[in-house]
Amino acid sequence: MQPVIVANDVVQVVTKKTVLNGISLQVNRGETLGIFGTKGTGKTTLLHILAGLDRFKSGTVEILGYDVRKSDKYKGQLGLVTQEKSLFQELKVAENLDFIATLRGGNRTVLERLVTQLKLQELLAEPVSTLDNGLYQRVALACALLHQPTVLIADELIKDIDLASRHLILLTIRQFLQEGGTLVCGFSNLDYAHQLNRVAWLADGTLNFYSPAELEAEWQRQIREYAGLSGERHD
Amino acid sequence: MIKALLVRELTYLWRDRGLRNILLFGPLLGILIFYVTYSAQILTVIPTAVVDLDRSSASRDLVTKISQAEYLQIVAQPASAPEAEELIRRGDVLVTVVIPEDFGRHLTLGRQTSVYIGIDGSNMIYSTNATTAALTVAKTVSAEAGVKALMARGLPREQAKSAYQRVTLQEEPWFNPTLNYAYFLVLALILNIWQQCCTLAAATNIISETGRPSWTQFKLAGLSKWTLFVSKSVVHIGVFMLLILPIYGICFGLLKLPLHGSWLLLLLFTLVFAIALHSVGTLASSFARNPVDSTRFGMIIALPSFILSGYGWPLEAMPSFVQSVVKLLPQTWFFQGLNYFTFKDPGWLFARHYFVALGLIAVVCYSGAAVITSRK
Repeated sequence: MQPVIVANDVVQVVTKKTVLNGISLQVNRGETLGIFGTKGTGKTTLLHILAGLDRFKSGTVEILGYDVRKSDKYKGQLGLVTQEKSLFQELKVAENLDFIATLRGGNRTVLERLVTQLKLQELLAEPVSTLDNGLYQRVALACALLHQPTVLIADELIKDIDLASRHLILLTIRQFLQEGGTLVCGFSNLDYAHQLNRVAWLADGTLNFYSPAELEAEWQRQIREYAGLSGERHD
Repeated sequence: MIKALLVRELTYLWRDRGLRNILLFGPLLGILIFYVTYSAQILTVIPTAVVDLDRSSASRDLVTKISQAEYLQIVAQPASAPEAEELIRRGDVLVTVVIPEDFGRHLTLGRQTSVYIGIDGSNMIYSTNATTAALTVAKTVSAEAGVKALMARGLPREQAKSAYQRVTLQEEPWFNPTLNYAYFLVLALILNIWQQCCTLAAATNIISETGRPSWTQFKLAGLSKWTLFVSKSVVHIGVFMLLILPIYGICFGLLKLPLHGSWLLLLLFTLVFAIALHSVGTLASSFARNPVDSTRFGMIIALPSFILSGYGWPLEAMPSFVQSVVKLLPQTWFFQGLNYFTFKDPGWLFARHYFVALGLIAVVCYSGAAVITSRK
């Protein structure tokens, strides 16, 4: 299969701390890769580097064959939902959709389809700054898909959101994958792991790759191990 | 794309309530405050105490002259000099005139006599006006006494008058004949408020994008920083100029402040200043770490710049290194030029070096901001 994202020996140092220590990974077309890790392990740092947003100390990252340090050409094929609220807070939902569609070259038909699919009709006149988490993530996902990317990077897309929004987001992601899209997502809750092809567990600046079932087993093993160490009971 | 960026920036400026209120109401409030403050235009009532120790007809004549003086108003006639001193000390009067006991006799004998005039120097505006008013009276009285002395020596009145007034000094203030405070200060103070508001707004130019999570959207779009920030700057400068139009309209149309130069030249001068000012704010916003930092930088630049501009205190009276440093600020060129463009009609040739200086500041500051921002 054709690789969409290839990272080799990526090192990132943030305020003198090595957050990523020689990360290498490859994501193939149509694949779903999850980056799993507890809070503060560097998932967002890694995802931003994979999206070509942040500079890094050493290593190489290629998206769709383009070195992110040398070219911007991959950006037209890349969608991103960040963990931090990165829509334009001063704009309303409709204005965000329109403005981001203009920025990224989205078209009206796709915009209307996403508005329907993610049930945003009632929200269009609302300022994004007033939306709760679930509604915000629906708008953020719509904005990320406006220009019909083939690669989607999403950071904690369904964390702490209402079930209705989660359902709509997962349906939209499923359709994106059915249309041949590639997904890389960061998450810290195992609920979503079974929907992925592979999972990379980020800890101490390095990645270990698992299948979803293996990840679940490893997580449970570690919980039991630490529970044993602290004398807690774990059923 | 450009249209979307312009509309979005206008929306941003409008929906940022704090920034909107500063830009819209700051300068207009300035007009109201400063015009009301200086509505008297000149200081006409300077409270004066007169101590007449002589109580002769000559001294009474002098007291009458003082009471008839244009700007002096006798509010007390204490019996002694120490009492008059106390009145000055308490702030009840600003000028005290002490006529000595032998004033009338000396005048009659044609001898020199002196009248003491004490002035409260703690407020420079008051003391300057009081000194001018008191000296005007003293000059008249002195001249009359001189003429009388010559007449006492046998010279006919007309001959005595022409002998005494052989050299006459004629004062004629140009451009502001009535030495109107409002003409001198109101416009400059309002424009100072306007430039401060504009500097604060300009100081958010870059950091308001790069310091916010939505910067990600621009990075993902691969939009050139040049396109983004030129679009933003065009909107900012356009808004600055839109704000100045009602200010000039009210000042020159409604309040009748003097504008002897051409409207077009003044507007062009203001536009070039707005660009230079915006460039300084943009440079500050490029190296600010966050919006709070950039506001601080903006305030540090905007607040003292009017004082340093040489408008209130002449540049030539400042230490030479300060003179050189303040010429790096666009405010110095603007406020230095303002008097020429309003009170006088300096013409395009004179205006040229102001335009060049402001243009150079803009080029240097925008270039610096571009270099710093390209690394973000």
